[in-house]
Amino acid sequence: MNAILRAGAIALATSIFLSGAAFAQQATSRLDEVLARGHLIVGTGSTNAPWHFKGADDKLQGFDVDMGHIIAKALFNDPDKVEFVNQSSDARIPNITTGKVDITCQFMTVTGARAQQVAFTIPYYREGVGLMMKAGGAYKDYAELKAAGSKVTVAVLQNVYAEDMVHAALPQAKVDQYDAQDLIYQALNSGRADAVATDQSSIGWFMIQNAGRYVDAGYGWGPQTYACAVKRGDQDWLNFVNTALHEAMSGVEFDTYAKSFKTWFGKDLPPPQIGFPVEFK
Amino acid sequence: MNDLMLFLNEVWIARLALLRGLGVTVSISLLAILAGSLLGVGVGLGLVYGNRLLRLVFRGYTDIIRGTPVLVLVLASYYIFSTVGLDLGPFQAGVLALAVFCSSHVGEILRGALQAIPIGQTEAAKAIGLTFGQTFGSVLWPQALRQILPTWVNTAAEMVKASTLLSVIGVAELLLRTQEIISRNFLSLQFYFLAGFLYFLINYGIERLGKYVERKTAVPS
Repeated sequence: MNAILRAGAIALATSIFLSGAAFAQQATSRLDEVLARGHLIVGTGSTNAPWHFKGADDKLQGFDVDMGHIIAKALFNDPDKVEFVNQSSDARIPNITTGKVDITCQFMTVTGARAQQVAFTIPYYREGVGLMMKAGGAYKDYAELKAAGSKVTVAVLQNVYAEDMVHAALPQAKVDQYDAQDLIYQALNSGRADAVATDQSSIGWFMIQNAGRYVDAGYGWGPQTYACAVKRGDQDWLNFVNTALHEAMSGVEFDTYAKSFKTWFGKDLPPPQIGFPVEFK
Repeated sequence: MNDLMLFLNEVWIARLALLRGLGVTVSISLLAILAGSLLGVGVGLGLVYGNRLLRLVFRGYTDIIRGTPVLVLVLASYYIFSTVGLDLGPFQAGVLALAVFCSSHVGEILRGALQAIPIGQTEAAKAIGLTFGQTFGSVLWPQALRQILPTWVNTAAEMVKASTLLSVIGVAELLLRTQEIISRNFLSLQFYFLAGFLYFLINYGIERLGKYVERKTAVPS
């Protein structure tokens, strides 16, 4: 009897202690930390247009940067209460795991290996490869490029998988590799290439800057999901960021998201259908 | 001609960013070289005059630091300190890493220079009753300095070049600024060339300074 009583007391004490620990953990969520600090710290880069780059006015801007502003708006009702920590692509995961940043939004491709190290938010963009040609050129769209077979030359950024990547869309095309982004555009301009194959976001941005001179062939492949990432093990914070991003893509902040999308990728987004939530269709 | 105008126009647009980057590069280098040289003199003295234990400690320090790539030191000082609660900013962490790297080189240079001075001079100084401080200040240091200068200039130039590695941890120095500008206007060749030229100017300045001090400290012949 006594032993049972003691066991019961221990169990009770343990459960109180554990629930206390759970409370303590909740109290130290990154969410509370950020709210107490009064501004959000976002890790991103500064050398990749249209994602995160410095404009002629030396201000950091881009789609990733706008995501940071959206989350800051959700936190403080002020999109400018955000500090951007400049980091190289290699520093994305270390800066999260060592707590240098609250969140990283830096065109980070979601992969299984990375998801073991950091917690990904819901996606905010789907990247893919596209084909861009000169306006009024010999080929009008993807179907014509494909039909032309080996007569077509495609300029692409140097990469181990570049040849396979192009051949996935244009199996017979000749592939010319260049080691800088400006060189693939030059190849297209000078007529050495009929099309360039590169990220759709880069194509969108380049076409915005050179309005009317280029056309998108209208085919995308090689999908990659871009998501922000936070430290593992803080569900509260992850939930908050997910909510902020979700409402930017389908709720009250949709106009902000759509405006940013139009600015950096040149495409108008139709507003989400009103009525039954689109997520459950 | 048109291309040149385009380039010059882009340089004009980016002038502030470039100047800021240049300022950051110069201040990182200056701080790292100054702190590293001071620390290095201490290391050099320890290596030559320390007792057995001190010598062993300094030997370990120089060998480990000199044998580690600067990039590893930079990443270590940025990330390792934050895991023990000391959160250094990228600029501070970068200066610390470069200063430590610089100190190991300067220490080794000074050790070589001091050991090249004949032992008889120290003995003579002792014989006329100079303290260790006086011996070092008036007899050994002036001679060692002449030996050190050319290699010190070399190390200082290395520090300026190593400061480019801080772009990895997000210090907006000249190289990162240049990359930011290139990502906007795609003029990679031109702007990298410009950055290279600016780095050359800094190092040329250091070299001239070294030559000047060499002239000032030369034994009149």
